[in-house]
Amino acid sequence: MATREAGKKMIMLKSPDGMEFEVEEAVAMESQTIRKMIEDDCADTAILIPNINSKILSRVIEYCNKHVPTTGATGAAASDTVAPAALAEDLKIWDAEFIKVNRATRFDLIQAASYLNIKGLLDLTSQTTIDTISDNSLEEIRSFLSTKNDYLPEEEQTIRRENQWAFQ
Amino acid sequence: MATAGAPPLHCGIPEEVAIWEILVRLAPKALLRCRAVCRAWRRATSTRDFLLAHHAHQPSLALIYGEDGNSVLIMPFNHRAGPVARLYSVDDALFQASCDGLLVICVHGKHFSIRNPATRQYANLSLLHGFKLLGMYQHSHTGEYRLLLYLSVAVKWMYSALPQVQEGSYVFTIGSGQPPRHIGCSDAEELICIPGSVCFHGGLHWYTNHVIKIFDTTAESFRQMRSPFVRGHARLFEVDSMLGMSTFNGDVDIWVVQEQDYKDEVWALKYRVELPVAEIRVQFGMFEIKYCRARAESCEGDVLVLLEFDDWLLQVDINGRLVAGFHRRGLIRTQVRLKQTLLLHTFFPTL
Repeated sequence: MATREAGKKMIMLKSPDGMEFEVEEAVAMESQTIRKMIEDDCADTAILIPNINSKILSRVIEYCNKHVPTTGATGAAASDTVAPAALAEDLKIWDAEFIKVNRATRFDLIQAASYLNIKGLLDLTSQTTIDTISDNSLEEIRSFLSTKNDYLPEEEQTIRRENQWAFQ
Repeated sequence: MATAGAPPLHCGIPEEVAIWEILVRLAPKALLRCRAVCRAWRRATSTRDFLLAHHAHQPSLALIYGEDGNSVLIMPFNHRAGPVARLYSVDDALFQASCDGLLVICVHGKHFSIRNPATRQYANLSLLHGFKLLGMYQHSHTGEYRLLLYLSVAVKWMYSALPQVQEGSYVFTIGSGQPPRHIGCSDAEELICIPGSVCFHGGLHWYTNHVIKIFDTTAESFRQMRSPFVRGHARLFEVDSMLGMSTFNGDVDIWVVQEQDYKDEVWALKYRVELPVAEIRVQFGMFEIKYCRARAESCEGDVLVLLEFDDWLLQVDINGRLVAGFHRRGLIRTQVRLKQTLLLHTFFPTL
């Protein structure tokens, strides 16, 4: 395994389109999926991340880089020295900028966050979609998520009647 | 790069991801609507595994009472979510306990009922006349939902369903058809006056007279835990695998015991929150600390101070900043929290 910068362990992540990303182990371990691979010693040389192209993977790494708990020279958590409230505020602003992407990219990020099991990224990326589903009609939800209505009209009516109050 | 060039025409999410990452996080009402989107969604969102995961994702809502014409609404105090229940012309209905999305209501201090606001299931609980409700829990070995009750001497004579009535604590299993079972513990009487118990680490918790009383929901017996020494009244709450306690003496002191320190009963003073009195006066006019009530609560993973005065409920963060204000006529905060569930509990049809 490559090492750099005062003994910081580095991990190589590979996307299926052949790009390689060298990241600090701590950053990669923001992903619970990768954490498990590392802890189970399945990550000796490079980890292939299937189904996530290099464009999305680089954005995921950018997110993890920002969100990894930083450590100072003494090894103490930075939140001991920087006011935690200011830190949280800064992250919130950064997150809001990060998520200004088109719908296709957002869906790709949701998939990536789901596969890599990064809770913060999943919460961030899924919220807009959750809001859209909560606020729109069934037809709009179907077109938004490219889902086909396979109910017969009378079946759909029956299901609506079962929980009529949810449609009011 | 694979995605270079024109954006993909199809921008759906794989069904598995849509169901387990998106639908699982919807509020119950939105999820019920989504069952009418397509067959696959309806099938997937009706399984027990999915409904348990959905329940786990739901926020723990703090509920308030508020007037609305001649009815009383019970609702979370964020503006987005609608009322969870509406009680018509009931003057004396109290939400007394909550567990896993179920609420127990008591009318006129004697008629108990249980409801699941998300599924709109509702049933009266008989055999409980004369009892006072202390709390509700799921018994770990059997999975049964049970009520912890108290019967005091003062009302014993009114109660005739049991052949030999004894003062003390009782356990009632919902849906069993059996009358409450006496478990002794007559010193639990003082808990009647403490609204709302806090469920943490397999126990119901109350603060009383400088100690914390715990009802172990597995062994079904009481024990005590050390409390930090504080002046005045203290309130318990649960946040992010910590048990918290707050006191209000001008400032709000917030103590916590971490899960790993729970056994050793090690409390730490985590925050002292100074209320933003000047800012509150600017925004809400007349405000006096001595006429308000304040306590800490968890709100979606964060600790916040809830401040009640007149018909206002304000949220103040741990840095003493005013976060939000909620106004409703006749506003009263309830002591219970609700984490909604769409699981269909099998006991409802049997009650």
